[in-house]
Amino acid sequence: MPGRQSRRHVLATIAALPLTGALSACGGGGGDTRSGGTSSTGRTVSSGNGRKTRITFWSALRGSQEVVDAFNRGHDTIQVDFQQIPSGGQGGYAKLSNAARAGNAPDIATIEYPQVPGFAIDGVCRDLTGLMSDGLRAKLLPQALGLTTFEKRVFSVPLDIEPMVMHYRTDLFERYGLTVPRTWEEFEDTARTVRRKGDERRMALFPTDGDTHFAAWSWQAGARWFDTSGGAWNLSLADAPTRRVAAYWQRLTDQHLVFMNASESRQSDAQIAGGAVLSRLSGAWDAGAQMKARPGQKNRWAIAPLPQWDPADPGVGTHGGSTFAVTRDSTAPEAAMEFIEWQVSHPDALRARLSSGASSQYPAAPGLVDVGREAFDRSYYGGQDIYSLFEREALKIRAGWTWGPRMTATGKLMKDGFARASGGQGDILGAVRAAEAGTVPDLEALGLSTTRHST
Amino acid sequence: MTSATPVSAPAETTAPPAPERHVGAAPAPAGRGSARRRELGACGVLMTPFFVLMVTVFLIPVATAVRLSFFSDDQPGLGFGPERTVFAGLRNYTAVVTDPTFLGGLGIVALYCLIYIPLMVAGALALALLLDSGVVRLRGTAQLALFLPHAVPGIIAALIWLYLYTPGISPVIEVLGKADITVDFLGVHTVLPSIVNIALWSNLGYNMVVFYAALQAVPREVIEASVVDGAGPVRTALQVKAPLVRSSIVMVAMFTLIFALQLFTEPMLLSQSTPMINSRFSPSMYIYDAAFTRNNYGLAAAASVVLLLCTVALSYGVTRWTNRAAAAEEGAR
Repeated sequence: MPGRQSRRHVLATIAALPLTGALSACGGGGGDTRSGGTSSTGRTVSSGNGRKTRITFWSALRGSQEVVDAFNRGHDTIQVDFQQIPSGGQGGYAKLSNAARAGNAPDIATIEYPQVPGFAIDGVCRDLTGLMSDGLRAKLLPQALGLTTFEKRVFSVPLDIEPMVMHYRTDLFERYGLTVPRTWEEFEDTARTVRRKGDERRMALFPTDGDTHFAAWSWQAGARWFDTSGGAWNLSLADAPTRRVAAYWQRLTDQHLVFMNASESRQSDAQIAGGAVLSRLSGAWDAGAQMKARPGQKNRWAIAPLPQWDPADPGVGTHGGSTFAVTRDSTAPEAAMEFIEWQVSHPDALRARLSSGASSQYPAAPGLVDVGREAFDRSYYGGQDIYSLFEREALKIRAGWTWGPRMTATGKLMKDGFARASGGQGDILGAVRAAEAGTVPDLEALGLSTTRHST
Repeated sequence: MTSATPVSAPAETTAPPAPERHVGAAPAPAGRGSARRRELGACGVLMTPFFVLMVTVFLIPVATAVRLSFFSDDQPGLGFGPERTVFAGLRNYTAVVTDPTFLGGLGIVALYCLIYIPLMVAGALALALLLDSGVVRLRGTAQLALFLPHAVPGIIAALIWLYLYTPGISPVIEVLGKADITVDFLGVHTVLPSIVNIALWSNLGYNMVVFYAALQAVPREVIEASVVDGAGPVRTALQVKAPLVRSSIVMVAMFTLIFALQLFTEPMLLSQSTPMINSRFSPSMYIYDAAFTRNNYGLAAAASVVLLLCTVALSYGVTRWTNRAAAAEEGAR
């Protein structure tokens, strides 16, 4: 039977192969593009009396079309072609990676803070250090710019910085006689009261898909998941502040003081729409999103600062926020930079965005806060001056936080762990540890210097 | 994926005559050299397409994957520096085999194989024996009905089952709910059996046909002899027929093993509906995730090679083990 055996052996080997083949076919293409493809995204077109530079801009941000229209109206030499793309997690980042690999990336891409290091390492972002004027640098909040600067090089320009705040239901707070909690201890007490009095209502949601929520809470407590000192990526996702935050939320979920389900789900929509949840802990941007999504809840929401661990040493983390990167393939980086500078620092840009009625972005350029204060329609929040609140909160953003080089994957691992914890397997801290353990091999395989410090 | 089996089946049946002809040609007198050359030429022409395809869709991709797994465009330190291509050695392999998520995926696939393969082989064999025994009326219709799911592409099958598994839209869950039975097909402990169920539904009929064809080749006189000797239908099926189709059982088990190790479509689709299936659930999903969401080609290539080696080693192990068992059995007789 040896003949039969070896034939079977070969057949088995062949049958096992399609996968390897498919992979390397795609990978082969990936290897080549890094060396710089020829792109024609930025085109110079002669028209009439002057030369016109056309640049392409991809974004998933609300109100971007209004901003681009305003820019194009006021500029003759640069014209922006805007393309609305899905948000990062919905395929926007995959689209950008693929486009960069194929050499047809847009001139300007929108990247959220956590993904900036990844796209910078992959060579999608251009080093903007030389392109950025000192004037623009001075206009931006240092904590925001710090998040896009690595080894003293800027890879992306912050548009907005979103301190995490507490959005809460004023009517329900009144009904149950609650006061706005200022510390996490008070928050827990309030949650207990709601559980007791609140007819199946809960104070808040622990989102099982909330890796960015959890990051913001840990950041506020003083955690530093990634640190780049010594020229290496030093990981300590389960550091002491994070363990404290994990234990806190574990207790709240164990005692059913908060809901525990996905935040981007019909279930969560129903909880908010039906008034089952009394507060939402999210970035400043969420004020605008809420206005757009649930116009019927006008005058029922207000915004308060996030509860603190220690009121004597207040801090917050950010939740959300976007940056603009010029891609390495762009043929008109100066024009792209000019548009970016206008977009992040010109009053008309913010006015145009807020005019869409769905944005409450908090600008990373503090000089624009007054513009936002004026342009934002306060009627939904009963006249509350939310921009002044955001301004105070933005100053509390703790410096020193760094996002990791494969944050989408790290976040995904964490979400998987949270979801399993909600299904009764494992716990919150376990999810964080698993995220770190699953990230290290990734970074090592990329050839990055990596150390682990979690205890 | 499954198309490899139909291709291989004829190869197995047509290949044996070839060596015979060769053996016959060897002692031919030298005068027939030109005829032999012509024969070799024809051989070359007929086999060229096979080798061209084998090189382009098999050897080159494998070589590329292996190369990708050993070389890397490195930017030392934090990774923001200039790139240079370096020989990375076993770095990617070390990363893969120390990655708890990859090992977890291997564990899940091992568990999946342990549940799926015995069920599949036993189920398909039982059905084939039933059909062969003549107990079943409407044999053709039954065969067609069992085979039909195999004609449904894997992705469509997964979609159908996704519909049946998802709470809120599934009629099955609704009906069970009315009878006060709550089932969560996509829960922590039920998700793997749910996947096994999809795979069984898709492939049972196909493997049943393989067994049925093999049973048709069992000489009728052997069966008549066993009946004359007083064996009932069950005993005939289990002790006479089943051992005679042993080689088919080994083949089906092996192909099932190979496809099971590449588990991808079903969990990929189900992951849309349940957080219990993560993006690195099986090794194939890990590879996909590493390449296309983590942009980590070296890691993905190394993981593919590791998976390939596992598959080859397991297939080899299965053949060695069954051959030895067969030899031992023959020796005992």
